[in-house]
Amino acid sequence: MLQYILRRTAVGLLMLLALTVLIFTLLRLTPGDPIDAYVNPSLPMSASDLQMLRTRLGLDQPLPVQYFAWLGAALTGDFGYSIQYNGEAVLPLVLSRIGPTILLMFSGLAIAAIVGIATGIFAAVRRNKLADLSLSTAAFVGISSPAFLTALLGLYVFAVILRWVPAGGMLTPGAPFSVGDLLAHLVLPATLLSIGHGALIMRYMRSSLLEVLSQDYVRTARAKGVREFWVIVKHAVRNALLPVITLIGSTIGIAIGGAIFIESVFDWPGMGLLMINAVVRRDYPVIMCATLLTGACVILVNLLTDIAYAAVDPRIKVA
Amino acid sequence: MNRRNFGRLLAAGTLLFSTIPAVMPVPAMAQAGKTIVGGFDVGPGGFQGNFNPLTATAGFTWLNTYFEPLVIYTSDLSKLTGALASEFAVGQDNLTYTFKLVDTKWHDGKPFTSADVKFTLELARNAESGSIFAARLAGIASVETPDERTAVVKLSKPNSAFLSVLSQVMILPQHALSSMPVKEVAKSQWWSTQPVGTGPFKFVKYVSDQYVEMAAYEGYRGGKPKADRLINRYFANPAAAVAALRAGEVQFTFAEPDDAKTFKGNDSFRVIEGDSYVVNYIGFNHRAKIWDDLRVRQAVMYAIDRNAIVSSLFGGAAKLANCGYVAPQLLPKDLTGYAHDPQKAKDLLAEAGWDKINGDKPIPWLTYYNTPQVANVMAAIQAMLAQVGINVVPRALDVPSYNGIVRSEKWQDFPMIYAGLQNGPNPASLNIGLNAAQIPPSGNNIMRVEMPALTEALNTAMAETDPAKADAKWQQVCKEMNSQLPWGPMWVASRYGVVSSKLKDFFWTPAPAGGPFVSHPEKWDIAP
Amino acid sequence: MASLIHARSAGPIRRALSRFFENGAAVAGLVILVPILLLTLTYDFWWPYKPNDIDLLAMNRGPSSAHWLGSDGVGRDIMARLLQGGRTSLLVATVSMVISTFIGFFIGALAGFAGRFIDGATMRFVDLAMTLPPVIFLLVLASIVGSGIVPTIFVISLLSWPVLSRMVRARLLELRERDFVVASHGMGAGLWHLLIRHGLPNTIDILVVYATLQVASGILLEAGLSFLGLGVTPPEASWGNMLNAARATHVLENYPWQWMFPGGALVVTVLAINFVGDGLRDAFDPRSELK
Repeated sequence: MLQYILRRTAVGLLMLLALTVLIFTLLRLTPGDPIDAYVNPSLPMSASDLQMLRTRLGLDQPLPVQYFAWLGAALTGDFGYSIQYNGEAVLPLVLSRIGPTILLMFSGLAIAAIVGIATGIFAAVRRNKLADLSLSTAAFVGISSPAFLTALLGLYVFAVILRWVPAGGMLTPGAPFSVGDLLAHLVLPATLLSIGHGALIMRYMRSSLLEVLSQDYVRTARAKGVREFWVIVKHAVRNALLPVITLIGSTIGIAIGGAIFIESVFDWPGMGLLMINAVVRRDYPVIMCATLLTGACVILVNLLTDIAYAAVDPRIKVA
Repeated sequence: MNRRNFGRLLAAGTLLFSTIPAVMPVPAMAQAGKTIVGGFDVGPGGFQGNFNPLTATAGFTWLNTYFEPLVIYTSDLSKLTGALASEFAVGQDNLTYTFKLVDTKWHDGKPFTSADVKFTLELARNAESGSIFAARLAGIASVETPDERTAVVKLSKPNSAFLSVLSQVMILPQHALSSMPVKEVAKSQWWSTQPVGTGPFKFVKYVSDQYVEMAAYEGYRGGKPKADRLINRYFANPAAAVAALRAGEVQFTFAEPDDAKTFKGNDSFRVIEGDSYVVNYIGFNHRAKIWDDLRVRQAVMYAIDRNAIVSSLFGGAAKLANCGYVAPQLLPKDLTGYAHDPQKAKDLLAEAGWDKINGDKPIPWLTYYNTPQVANVMAAIQAMLAQVGINVVPRALDVPSYNGIVRSEKWQDFPMIYAGLQNGPNPASLNIGLNAAQIPPSGNNIMRVEMPALTEALNTAMAETDPAKADAKWQQVCKEMNSQLPWGPMWVASRYGVVSSKLKDFFWTPAPAGGPFVSHPEKWDIAP
Repeated sequence: MASLIHARSAGPIRRALSRFFENGAAVAGLVILVPILLLTLTYDFWWPYKPNDIDLLAMNRGPSSAHWLGSDGVGRDIMARLLQGGRTSLLVATVSMVISTFIGFFIGALAGFAGRFIDGATMRFVDLAMTLPPVIFLLVLASIVGSGIVPTIFVISLLSWPVLSRMVRARLLELRERDFVVASHGMGAGLWHLLIRHGLPNTIDILVVYATLQVASGILLEAGLSFLGLGVTPPEASWGNMLNAARATHVLENYPWQWMFPGGALVVTVLAINFVGDGLRDAFDPRSELK
């Protein structure tokens, strides 16, 4: 078992390395470099003004040289400086975005889990009744709507027209920090984010509970005269939750990458927004660092999952 | 509890949960004093996230609230006036510039002196510092400081654009930056944590990708600012800023023309309309082989109903351009108007043998404008060109992709572009895009225009130092552009800002790169 | 296990089909989907307007008898663009589904059948593909290959196949050690033979369900890409880039027909496909009688 874990960890590190090579190559195949991103084409700025900057950033060096320079520094923990963000050091910049992203993703997932599980149980209990049909249909609509459209409409209705919540951002500019302010900014994007996840969780919960409810031990419990409420809560829901928890768990690994549509519509300062801005501005150091970080998270979650499975099911070791 | 009650409980719980957002109160914006919040870096004149004036290609409106240059454009952008220089004079030799400096203090209380001017200019012309002014200030031979209130700059050769370049060079405090190695200046945290300027507002803090906060500088030489705080909020796009404006969270932002239109006639807002000083054109790649025949380029002009586009898609808020300029003093009398005439376009194409040159093969048509308005304009032009048998395929790129492609040598990748170039206030701005000597890698003549007569006209106009005679020389440039069509000139459109009517004495104009221009931020006030 | 029975016995498929047609939602999905398909495929025969015909004198008009669904910012007919956009979106989704299903099946089956070393290597490759942050991958890929219909198909296909590979491999792994596979190996059967004769029939249920749902997610991905300005480029119509008009507040507010109709069409189509996909999943799942 230990050998298996060690081997998979080594493979995971190799994959990270491969990931950096891949992203680095992909980035350099993209037309335009950070200096090209610097200049509005309508301004009379000559190419020679910019060539000096290119030389200064080492962008005129051959690609392998640039890659190994980056790798060498990264191995010592130096991820360089953001080209566009005014020379901010990259690692703290990227790390500072993880907080807001986790806050948003986890609030969204929490709302999704609570609402999804509750409605899932309700729909299962009321199977094929009107309530179940309408909830299931609503869940389907939730899965079928593009996230950016619900985000745009949500922002328009709740922030611009009704003014219940602020129109984007994470904190009121200039106001002293308060939890209430943060929550007011958080509630709309988190709720909108929860729609897709919640719909999925609801459908999993419903079918999982239906399956459990048909099992022998539930029938036995019912036959023994246990009241229906307790049958559902004590026996069925607990068992039915397992696959749902697996589903939620698998979402967490990719959550750190941020919710690109919600973050960009709501100007939420998370990883998604950082990545979009970095790509649009060709901020290579930021992209490399953020990719490495999110990649490491995904690989780690995959690794833990595989180890857990291997621990449970010895046959899988052959993989 | 039976099964039905359990269901009700769940339903009630769900309902309660889903209404939480609705009943949750928005905290009142308890902010001490007068605070003005704006999207000062939204739109083409802004540069979000840049705090270093030496690396600024735009965003000068905001930088000018806390830093100041020696000289600055007046608010109508017509001429230069003093900022940190109370007086300035050019010597007879056109090489010596003498600046008399104002008596003021930096935000940290240290006095502002000629040593700061010398330090800044030397830093700005040193490429090691990451300065994008290095090439343009390379002509500085020396900076002398005869006394604390005087700075004398000597050039190695005359440069009529020198003062206009200086207007974007923000003077920096020597005492704060001189201890820093030059190479470290560009990546210093100083710019975004504790910059020190001489302007009416002083830096408080930057919350990454969210906003920048300023406080009034009590010691400002023009008087204590009326607003206590000034906040520059960042937005991913102008549409988001407009949403925040309508939600009452910001009092000012740049707006796309279609969005600005919706504020007209609304008493709570004032719409600012201004000249963009950018001429939009259809660029013909002169090395792509398909535009060599003048008749083909003329056909493109005749095929496009520019009047219809301006009146419908721009709502009339654009001036037709028949050369690179629209300012009346730069236009000669007998310009060809290229009025819409599809039949003439077809005839010209037939004469030129268009079916042999290109025929109906699709021609990629690149732009860096990612706005809905330009998408509509290009769709309209595509349809008009299709009618005469020119098949163009619009494609909007992000700025780095566009710059990367047009500076390359793969002509087939960009046979045609829709772009803009600054054409004022100084008409010499166009030189960089049309002079044969400016073909990349040296300049920015991305369409590789090589027309000797045009280059000659540009050189003549550039060399003219007498302002009274210069207009006639620029008219000659206009005439060449109009008859030879190095580009297909289209129009100069207006740009917009929208201000809440709560703001008093607020001034803004859509200057290229955000100016800087005289805007008196210390006078900006907000009604409660 | 039903799925292990050889495909030549048509029993389970027929049973699955009959289960499918007993599923109300799935049938409703089909009933919605077929007319949408017919309309988008035939509109140029019966609708007078072309999707790219501009009319600067009839801009931003609301629905009327001339323009049933109104006109857009350059006076193009929304109905024509809606139907042409549907054609584009469905084309992008379907072709990318075919490509990603093919890649996904092939790589998954290869991993499942070809022995431990290749299995390990391909699965790490799949992991790598799943590790790429989708944002970066989308943005970078789209900037390299450009935007347009073919690049969009390319991006969506490359983004979608790893999930299928994992499912196919998991199913076939159970199969690898079975007698008939070992026997075919022993009899010198090639890998290709194994993939087609044993891999395909045993994963057909996964493939059908994945393919259906992938069309739905392809449509959503195309819309998302267009929202980021990377999908099908205007003036070519697609549901995604028509919806993108809602970004501007003044369109959202004043010209709702410009985004509501494409939005509605997109949601209804994706919904219908999801109904069908769900029905297929239940139909292939022997335990589905419960639901």
